[in-house]
Amino acid sequence: MLRPKANFSDNDFVEGLKLEDDLVLTALYKKYYNLVLKLVVSNSGSSEAAQDIYQETIIVLYEKCKDPEFKLNCQLQTYIYSVARNLWLKQLKKHGNVGELKDYHLDVYEQSGADIKDHQSKENEIQKAFKSLEELGEPCASLIKDFYIKKMSMDQISEKFGYTNADNAKNQKYKCLQRLKRLFFDNFTIVD
Amino acid sequence: MRAVDLFDSYLEGKLNANELEEFELRLNNDPVFVKAFEEHKTLISILNASNERQILKGKLKHIHSIEFGKEAKIISINKPEKLTKRIGKTFIVAASAAVVAVISTIALLSTGGYLLKKQKNEITDLKLEVTGLKYSQNAIVKKLNTKEDKVKFAAANLEGSAFALNNNGYVLTSWHMVNGADSIFIQNATTERALAKIIFKDPALDIAVLKIEDEGISKNWQVPFAFNAKSAEVGEDVYTLGFPRQDVVYGEGSLSSLSGYYNDTAMYQVSIPVNPGNSGGPLLDSQGNIIGVIRGKISSAEGTGFAIKSTEIMRSIAAIEGDSAKSELLLNNSKSALKKLKRSEQIKRINPYVFNVLVYKNN
Repeated sequence: MLRPKANFSDNDFVEGLKLEDDLVLTALYKKYYNLVLKLVVSNSGSSEAAQDIYQETIIVLYEKCKDPEFKLNCQLQTYIYSVARNLWLKQLKKHGNVGELKDYHLDVYEQSGADIKDHQSKENEIQKAFKSLEELGEPCASLIKDFYIKKMSMDQISEKFGYTNADNAKNQKYKCLQRLKRLFFDNFTIVD
Repeated sequence: MRAVDLFDSYLEGKLNANELEEFELRLNNDPVFVKAFEEHKTLISILNASNERQILKGKLKHIHSIEFGKEAKIISINKPEKLTKRIGKTFIVAASAAVVAVISTIALLSTGGYLLKKQKNEITDLKLEVTGLKYSQNAIVKKLNTKEDKVKFAAANLEGSAFALNNNGYVLTSWHMVNGADSIFIQNATTERALAKIIFKDPALDIAVLKIEDEGISKNWQVPFAFNAKSAEVGEDVYTLGFPRQDVVYGEGSLSSLSGYYNDTAMYQVSIPVNPGNSGGPLLDSQGNIIGVIRGKISSAEGTGFAIKSTEIMRSIAAIEGDSAKSELLLNNSKSALKKLKRSEQIKRINPYVFNVLVYKNN
């Protein structure tokens, strides 16, 4: 009882990912893993590499689905295959292996290249933010994350970090944020 | 106000009409202000994107290990049929030792694993005795009224916890507790013992919904917590309220895993020391959202509890047939009224909606 239904349509998957439905995500993951595994393994990749490529592919799809303007212009299977194929080709080229790819799926959706580019430029920004936070150190990094990601209130933050009141916490957050901006942006704009 | 504080307040929608007008005026006339604002937004959206990607990566790894992992822990208590489906001959040989170990744990779970409170529980007996003594001393303690009542009732066969589902007088509890009951009562410090009947059960998920017979009791209910429709995250602070004794007891910890015993994805693992009597109690996150129902623990491991996920419960209840039944059972999933409150304040508001469940069986 109450298991995810067995046959999701492409549209079901896209709508489910939009809603962040974990059961849909699980069903999707199960459905197309072998497709990507086969592609990577038969093109000189290990199953671990296949897993990495597949998970990155799902992340590309997931984030695309959350974009309100996204429309799936081909079969979901074709989309997943194309993204994975593109990502794997990139890996192969990085390691100097350029040859003919052995394909298992007839259609390849060319535009997936643009989606991957978006994905990777976002990943670069994320890495940069990650490094900046690391450089920022504690307690600043946690304070920033608690406020901007966990959406904790200044009262909660003040309690957690042991500031005497919310205004003190707010001042501290301000200082931390200015430092973070200095680390993250090459030239950050200062206004009063 | 500093520009940064203005940015934050604006993004949180906290500026009043005047401030808003001023802010927008500045956006239209001050290019440096605009640039600083854009940078601010960019940085915050990247921080959030980073967090989201990290969560998603964790989820995918988790799904992978469950569905395709080498040790593919097929042994999920609720779904034994998978055993035959997925294990090949070679795997059976390789895994036989693990299977033996697991089966012995399941046996433990089915007897001692559930967090039921048997009436033979020593602490409970002691408590009743002490209360009885006070009662005989007559009227020394004024506050004793409700406790006097408790003494007059026969001891229940089983006790556990439950909590309000919505404002209509429905409460949620564990199926294993009320299964086979002749009569079920709920009570807490603010609600006197009231008869309840089972109106919905999902034995596979181990949940049951009870309706309080006396409609007057829920007349003024305003359930403060809401069901969380999204999966919680590993590492989150979580807490529970339950009735391992006659009084409500608070327990806190963090979410240890997105799956329960033997990778049952319908459950969370939590590092809360749960005890007999906690079964059926709510699992809440730091903002006071319901993220699960306490189900059980592994007898051998202290401080490890399991809770059925709110997402699964919502799915189960949404699958009920018949519109009228469903509309009565609608979960409270508006915003939690507890978000900004301190933990102690949250608990004060929640307490009236967490109940001790008393189960009577004839045999």
